[in-house]
Amino acid sequence: MEFIGSLIISGLMNGAIYGLVALGFVLIYKSSSVLNFSQGHMLLLGAYTFWFFKSSMGLNLYLSLLLAIGVGFLIGILIERLTLRRLIGQPLISMITVTIFLSLVIEGFVSLIWGSYPLQHIAIFSNQCFNIGNCVLTTQNLYAFGLAFSTALALVLFFRYTNLGLAMRGVAEGHQIMQGMGISVKKILNISWGIAGMAATIGGIILGSTLGFRLGLSHIGLLAIPAAFIGGLESPEGAILGGLLIGLCESIVSGYVGNAAGVPAAFLILIVGMIFKPYGLFGLVKIERV
Amino acid sequence: MVMSICGLIMLFVLPELPYVSGYILRLIIGASIALIICLGLNILTGYCGQLNIGQSAFVMVGAFTSALLNSKFGLPFWATFIPAGLAAATVGVFFGIPSVRLKGLYLALTTLGAQIILAWIALFGFPITAAGFSVDPIKIGSIAFNTPQKFYYIAIPFAVVMTFFAKNMMRSKPGRAFIAVRDNDKAAEGMGIDIFRYKLLAFAICTFYAGVAGSLLVHYMMWAQLESFTLQDSIWYLVMIIVGGLGSIEGTIFGVIFITVLKEIVFVIGPIAETKLSFLPMGAGSGLLLIIIGGMAILFLTVEPRGLAHRWNLFKAYYRLWPFGY
Repeated sequence: MEFIGSLIISGLMNGAIYGLVALGFVLIYKSSSVLNFSQGHMLLLGAYTFWFFKSSMGLNLYLSLLLAIGVGFLIGILIERLTLRRLIGQPLISMITVTIFLSLVIEGFVSLIWGSYPLQHIAIFSNQCFNIGNCVLTTQNLYAFGLAFSTALALVLFFRYTNLGLAMRGVAEGHQIMQGMGISVKKILNISWGIAGMAATIGGIILGSTLGFRLGLSHIGLLAIPAAFIGGLESPEGAILGGLLIGLCESIVSGYVGNAAGVPAAFLILIVGMIFKPYGLFGLVKIERV
Repeated sequence: MVMSICGLIMLFVLPELPYVSGYILRLIIGASIALIICLGLNILTGYCGQLNIGQSAFVMVGAFTSALLNSKFGLPFWATFIPAGLAAATVGVFFGIPSVRLKGLYLALTTLGAQIILAWIALFGFPITAAGFSVDPIKIGSIAFNTPQKFYYIAIPFAVVMTFFAKNMMRSKPGRAFIAVRDNDKAAEGMGIDIFRYKLLAFAICTFYAGVAGSLLVHYMMWAQLESFTLQDSIWYLVMIIVGGLGSIEGTIFGVIFITVLKEIVFVIGPIAETKLSFLPMGAGSGLLLIIIGGMAILFLTVEPRGLAHRWNLFKAYYRLWPFGY
């Protein structure tokens, strides 16, 4: 009983992080209906930029956080400007494919500049721990939890109540129509990628301070994909729920089966789930008839 | 016609020519196995429009099927490459089922899932596939094809025959149906094409090619191991068909040759750059490779989405009338 209790707690805590990363997927998908396969690598780049400002430049914590987030925004904009803008109006599949290769290029840059070995650890949060029964909670976990929920809430409000959010949802529906309505698809895409870059950087810094600054950080993007899908790609609240579900399933399966079975189990759930509920729990159901 | 016959003759005498070393032959064999894999991938992704980012997992299924049949039951290659292809196709169809109700993006996910799940099964499910085991070379009578010079005569005919099949299949009813599904699935359904059936068929053909190639690969290396079938390999096959040209059989050949040569050049200059340029950190060579390969794919997708095949057609049209272009 205690074993499963601690598995559930740690699963929920990891799940919040997956939810946070999955929110990045949702953000991009809702504003351009592209699944950004390079989300995990943008996160990696964000974490490494933070490390650069904090450790190589020796700046203080808050300044380097701010700078890293700013650089994340610029990187997002740059990615959109250089690659995705040329694909406006092309089939969506080519945009999705480009993001796969973006992840290669980003990983290449990171290992070209910082090498492929783990970097020195930087702790952001205090190492305080709380005991609940037999389970241990760290401050980091709590921050990640709170951040995931507040970001999800902010995104829900943003897409529902602001003009920019409405325009982003419109661009996701179709580029030509939105261009015809007098909304600049370029500008909208640019801003949404900038925001996604920022979000990825925040997630990357939290993750990096938990798991260490290393290339393997980008694998979290892989686990966040099922999370985003199970919740439904259009819904921020679904991303959090999906993240928690995937986190739970990962920790319980890994705990009982062992051998890092959590990741394949998450994908198995995703595939089976997609047969029965293709648009996820809260996704927008699109009905097409011939 | 004359050109292609000359080309075939050239291919078959190549190992006997001067300056053709084992190194070059190994590259050609690697490229021809990659060609079979990429042909399948191009039929699915280029012709039918379904993104597959787990191709090397299906190569792995074929490879291990063939290798296990060989080492457990002593069956020769000639009896195992068809079962290997069929095994890969069966697994492939299973992962293709979610694409019934969904388009493009979702098959990408299930194939990514296939890559992760199948790799996990191979690593933890069976001790033998996790450790790797040896496989007999291909034999015809008493001749064992165990050196690059000999294996060349297995790999090239396979690549040629598979290319021939792919080229002709795309001009048949299923081939045209694939293109219809890719270009506009609603219109295709309106024309009476069963989208689900043809998507699954495309997926089965794609994974069958992968399985056959996997079977060739293990008999070439004479060793079956997990490390040859990673997610990164899958992405590289995708780069090959994108650079060559989606939806073009000739393009697949160009892409495979181009990327194989490019990869080899980077493998040579990467370590040199790492030692000469002291400001680069350890492991920068692999980063260089990733940037060049990934950047190449992005460049082609954004600037020349029809790939090298389109350039080749333009070149042919230009030279047909040369020097009087107008």
